[in-house]
Amino acid sequence: MNHVQPDYARKHASPRNKRAAAVVGVGHSDWVGDWARCRNGERPNDSYGYAIDAFRNALKDADISRDEVDGLIAGPTTAYERLGELTGINPRWGGQADAVLAVSQAVMAIEAGYAEVIALVYGNDQRSVGTQYGGPEAMGGGAFLSYVYHSPWGLTSQGALYALTLQSFKHARGFTEAEMGEVAVAQRGWSSMNPNAIMRKRITVEDYMASNYVCEPLHLYDYCLINDGGVALIIAEAGRAKRMTEKPVFIESVGRFDLNRGATSLEPRIDDFYLPAQQAAAAQSYELSGLGPKDMDILQVYDSFSVHVPLALEGYGYCGVGEAGKFLREQGVGPGGKLPVNTGGGHLSETYMQGWAHQIECVRQLRGECGERQVADARHVHYTSDVAGKCFSIIYGK
Amino acid sequence: MNAIEAKTPKPVMGLYDKPMWESINAGAMRLQRCRACSKWQYPPGPACPQCLSCDLEWTPVSGRARILSWVVFHRQYLPAYPAPYNSIAVRLEEGPTMITNLEGAMPDAGSIGKDVRLVYVTMPDGVVLPRFSLAE
Ligand SMILES: [Zn+2]
Repeated sequence: MNHVQPDYARKHASPRNKRAAAVVGVGHSDWVGDWARCRNGERPNDSYGYAIDAFRNALKDADISRDEVDGLIAGPTTAYERLGELTGINPRWGGQADAVLAVSQAVMAIEAGYAEVIALVYGNDQRSVGTQYGGPEAMGGGAFLSYVYHSPWGLTSQGALYALTLQSFKHARGFTEAEMGEVAVAQRGWSSMNPNAIMRKRITVEDYMASNYVCEPLHLYDYCLINDGGVALIIAEAGRAKRMTEKPVFIESVGRFDLNRGATSLEPRIDDFYLPAQQAAAAQSYELSGLGPKDMDILQVYDSFSVHVPLALEGYGYCGVGEAGKFLREQGVGPGGKLPVNTGGGHLSETYMQGWAHQIECVRQLRGECGERQVADARHVHYTSDVAGKCFSIIYGK
Repeated sequence: MNAIEAKTPKPVMGLYDKPMWESINAGAMRLQRCRACSKWQYPPGPACPQCLSCDLEWTPVSGRARILSWVVFHRQYLPAYPAPYNSIAVRLEEGPTMITNLEGAMPDAGSIGKDVRLVYVTMPDGVVLPRFSLAE
C-alpha cells in the first residue's frame, strides 16, 4: 500500500512556476484525413512527417518564424536530434518527453531562464506501422516492467492493466458497468461536434452495454483509438507571450506526485487507484494557483482507457471518494453536463495523441475557438494524467 | 496455431529472477525476504525497497493468497492463450502482489476477496507456472 500525506505537497508547493509561461501557438496534423488513408492501406507519413505538419501549423498559429524558437522538446516517438535536424532548430535548450513532462519541463526551462520560446513537437505513425501495445513485443516494456513481466500468465496488454484497475475499483467503490459507460457516451457527445474527431457517431449507454468485451470488464468503447498524427505547441515566457499574441493561454500551475512502490505488480492502481498521488498533485497545483475544482470550467483527462475519468474525478476533488459513479450519472460530463470532460472527444473518440491533443484542446477552449463544442466563457481548464503512476495536475488559464 | 505447440511467453529473466524460477520448477516457490526488516518482495530484485538492505534470503512462500482483482480476455493475443482466459491479481499471505491465473474455474462477480492456494501447472510446452485455485 502507498501512503502519501497531501500536506507534504502543500508544504512543498513553490510559487515560482505560477503563470511563468503561456501557450502562444498550437497545431496538429490532419487526423481525420490520415485516418481515412491509413484505413485504405496507405502510409501517409512517418512520425517525423506528422510532427512537422503539426509544427508548421503551430508556427503559423503563433504567427512567428521558426528562428524565434530557442528551445525544443521532442515527443517520445521521435529522436530528439533527428527532429531537431528536420525542424531546422539549433536551440539553446532541449530534451525529450511525453506530453505532461514536456509542458512541465518547458515551464521549468523558461522559469530558470534556459529558453524563452520553446517548441513542443510530437508525431506518431503508430497506426500505419502497427505499434504493439500488447503481446510479448509491447511498446514501452523496456521502461515499464509491468508491461512485460506478467506475460507468462498471458497478461501483457495495456488494456488488461486498466481492466484489473476497473474491476478492483468497481468492487471497492460499488461502481457499476453502466456508470463506466457514461464516459464513452459523453465523449462521443463531444466528438460528434468536433470536425477534427475521428469517431463522431453518438452512442448510448445501451449501445455500450451491448458491445463486446475486449478484456472484461472493459468494453471496446472503453479503449482509445490507435491512429497516426502529430501535435505541436509553442510555449513562451509570460511577458514575451503577452507581446506575441492577444490571446496567450497561461499555465497557471503544475503539480506532480508519482507512485513507484509496488508498480510492477500494479499496486498503485489496483490498491490505491492512484488516489494519494492525485491528491498530492492536486494540492500542489491548487495551492499554487489559488484555484480549486469549483473554479474549473473544463476537465481534460488522459484517457487511454475510460477508467481514468472516474479515478480523476475522485482524485482531483471533483467529487468525494466513492462518488464518481453518482457524479457521472447525475451531474454528467458530456455536453449539457455539470462538468465538461474531454471536450474534443479525448483518446476514445477524437484522436490518440498520447495526451498531446488534450493540451491543444485546453488552449482552444480558452481562446473560444471550438465552434459547436465550445464551453461558454471557459476561464480555467484543468488537465490531469496518471500514466504509469506519474500523476500530473496542470491548470491552464487566460 | 495449435495450443499444444504454442510456446508459453518467456518470463523476464534478470539476474535476480533466476532463483525464483528454479524454485518454481522445483514445485516450491521461494521469494526474497529481507533479513534486516523482514519485508518480502516480488518481483525479485537486488535490494529491499523498504530498507535498501542487500541481505535478502530466498524463503519458501506459504502458498496462501487472496484475490484482489481479475480480468477475462475475450480476444487472443498470445498463441499459448486462446480466448477466453483469465488473469488475476492476488495478495500473497507474505504481502507481495502477484499477477497470475485462476486455475479450475473462471473468476466471477464474487471472486474478489476469495482465498486461493498456489498450484504448479505444467503448460503444454513444459513450462511450469505458479497459478492459484480456490481454497476448499
Ligand atoms: Zn528490508
